[in-house]
Amino acid sequence: MVLDDEDFAEGTQKLTCPGEPITSSHAFMRGHGTYVDNEEVIASVAGTIERVNKLISVRAIRARYSPEVGDLVVGRITEVQPRRWKVDANSRQDAVLMLSSVNLPGGVQRRKLESDELQMRTFFEEGDLLVAEVQAFFADGVMSLHTRSLRYGKLRNGQLITVPPALIRRLKSHFITLPCGVDLILGLNGYIWVSKHLKQNEQEGEDAFDAEAVYSNRNDDIDDATRAAISRVSNIIRILGAHFVPLTDTLLLDAYEWAVEQEGGVKDLLNSDIGDALVSAVAARS
Amino acid sequence: MPRPPSPSIPEKEFLYGSLKQSLRLDGRNPLEMRTPTLTFGPDLGWVECAMGKTRVIAQVEGKMVKPPPERPLEGLITIHSELSPMASSEYESIRPSEEEVTITRMLDKVLRRSDVVDKESLCVLSGQRVWHLRLTIHCLADAGNMLDCACLAGVVALKHFRRPEVEVVGEEHDPSERAPLPLSMHHTPFCFTFAYFPDPTILPVLDPSHLEQRLSAGLMSVALNAQRELCVVQKAGGMPLDQQEVLRIVDVAVGKAKELDKLVETRLKEDWAGRTVEVR
Amino acid sequence: MSSRIEILNDGGYRSDGRRQYELRSIDIDMSPQGTADGCAVVSHGLTQVQVCVFGPREARKRAETLHDRAVLNVEVGVLPFSAGERRRRGRADRRILELAASIKSTFEPVIQTSLYPRSQIDIFVSVLAQDGGLLQACINATSVALASAGIALGDLVCAVSGGVHGTFPLLDLSALEEGDLPNVTVAITPRSGKVTLVTLETRLHVDRFGEVFARACEAGRVIHTEMRRAVRARTSKLVDAMGAGTKGTGEEDVERDVLMSEINDF
Repeated sequence: MVLDDEDFAEGTQKLTCPGEPITSSHAFMRGHGTYVDNEEVIASVAGTIERVNKLISVRAIRARYSPEVGDLVVGRITEVQPRRWKVDANSRQDAVLMLSSVNLPGGVQRRKLESDELQMRTFFEEGDLLVAEVQAFFADGVMSLHTRSLRYGKLRNGQLITVPPALIRRLKSHFITLPCGVDLILGLNGYIWVSKHLKQNEQEGEDAFDAEAVYSNRNDDIDDATRAAISRVSNIIRILGAHFVPLTDTLLLDAYEWAVEQEGGVKDLLNSDIGDALVSAVAARS
Repeated sequence: MPRPPSPSIPEKEFLYGSLKQSLRLDGRNPLEMRTPTLTFGPDLGWVECAMGKTRVIAQVEGKMVKPPPERPLEGLITIHSELSPMASSEYESIRPSEEEVTITRMLDKVLRRSDVVDKESLCVLSGQRVWHLRLTIHCLADAGNMLDCACLAGVVALKHFRRPEVEVVGEEHDPSERAPLPLSMHHTPFCFTFAYFPDPTILPVLDPSHLEQRLSAGLMSVALNAQRELCVVQKAGGMPLDQQEVLRIVDVAVGKAKELDKLVETRLKEDWAGRTVEVR
Repeated sequence: MSSRIEILNDGGYRSDGRRQYELRSIDIDMSPQGTADGCAVVSHGLTQVQVCVFGPREARKRAETLHDRAVLNVEVGVLPFSAGERRRRGRADRRILELAASIKSTFEPVIQTSLYPRSQIDIFVSVLAQDGGLLQACINATSVALASAGIALGDLVCAVSGGVHGTFPLLDLSALEEGDLPNVTVAITPRSGKVTLVTLETRLHVDRFGEVFARACEAGRVIHTEMRRAVRARTSKLVDAMGAGTKGTGEEDVERDVLMSEINDF
């Protein structure tokens, strides 16, 4: 398959698989997912061909998360090291969260002391989940995260769902509040946090940065209705993930309404026929 | 577990540079192998084979056993190979490394599964008594291409070995007065290993030295006998080669096998001439 | 021992009714399993192998990472019920270690490991059923699983086994034939037509080898079209699910028909 300019008409997507020649390397430049051999640009991953001017790249349909600066990710602490945490973020290597890139108790502009280094585990310890932003990359491609915003930090009051990262599109906001009293954090790395809704004033207590609340390991009281809602939303995400449907806030809202209309139990959603019905119903609505 | 240090960058560049001009660091041609030196011990079936600094001792011993019920008419052959850290610091005594697995598997394929020894001739009394041959291969020093050296030592040891002639007298068997017999062998396979390099313009080299082996992008081993019969071809991954290239390497090996066969036969004859086998 | 079985009868049919160069039916299933990044179950006739690929991910042992490329870790498990005789093989069985080493060194030059420095790619192979051609099934399944994990590959590696009966080369041997014939396994990278793996066991004359070797290389291309079709079908299914209209499904059908007739010509 050798492409010319006309082959990149609007709205069509060309598929390719590893080892397939795409085009001549004289006319085009190679991007991600391709390599040049014998004056030909050749695909190295299975996915869709994308072209920006003279740059040809192949976007893998299913791959690990490849981070970009500014992305919002949900991660899990895997290791505590000197002045840094290692965070599993579904990427090629564990991300790094430096002690200097987190907010510490006692004000945002505080200097990091030796005593902070000694009690790093009181902030985050192995197994903690957190939401953070990709700050920069180290020379070897490891991403560095930061949590220097009141919206970032340790996660509580909910559960984690994993979907293929390709299903999370870049949205205006990745913090979604559903009307059923459930907060969603859609990490671009495919990790999704589904939790109880926190009221705005509880979340951001002005400048009085409440260390207790931010680094607390205790869940708040969650009533049964909220628990059911969290589970329902989680199951919907699981179904959509299994059917490879990209997640957006409107889609999730539609799906949740449909699920409530069905009046089934929360766990019935996981039956494959109900799941299929959900996906087709949602597809019809949008 | 510290890894052995890889060859330094200047060493690497020098080797690649000289190979590009078809020169090897020890002065050989690309398709020239080190002439093996065979030394026979006082016992029959004890051989030391040296190719340059690579040294291997092979020893064959035979004893009578009861055959397993599923094969009452066949003798047994077992191969024990020992790659201790003595041969090279790369081998560890605890866990079999990848090289060790390759060598033991190749020895097994070349010396046992290609039917070198006629197993039925090892049967003394069907279902009761057969010979169990135990071939032990000690790797003393690894200066590259241990596999070819070990295969050669193993096959020469089998050729050198003589088993006592026994006579069955009722339930008993005793070594008879007659001269010990050579094993009846179907063929004599030799193994040749070629190393090829990341740069496709560099021609593959036969019998790689230790450094060449470390810096190669893959090995291809061909085991065959002087009758142009292939026993094992093994190119497990590594750099992809052209089809023609594979066939060319096989052809080269055919020529080398004939040469090596002659050398082995003359050495065995020489040794046999200088040896008086006692007949009690 | 098994000379009573006729490997190739006078009519030119093999014991399972295939022709000399006919391959067994290939089935490639790429549906996801568990948390693996890439997965494939490949069957060649009754031989079935499942491969799960994890990674590239943070290396388990930091001491073993390489600063300029990813390390490959291949583990092979042969299920006790996979062969006719129930038998539990330890992990340290030399045959299994050799199989794992072959898979590892086959894919090391094919995977573009330099794109994933300091990480690790785990390939777990489980042999579900054995009926000859184990190595070829393992290699083909690993190829497809790596592609489904979105790992950058230079090419899909395609492997085929072959054997010689008298003077007749046969392709894709079943266990019955494998036990009786000298057999080779050849793996090629179809785009360059180069050979990454050749193994031969048991005695075979040099002249015969050349013939079966060339046939196996041709057959590798047929396997490649099957693998390519499976990978593209899976990709297009996922792209469709993501709600993007795709062109090229029709094109795919045409391609397949041509290939089927090619296979019949063999």
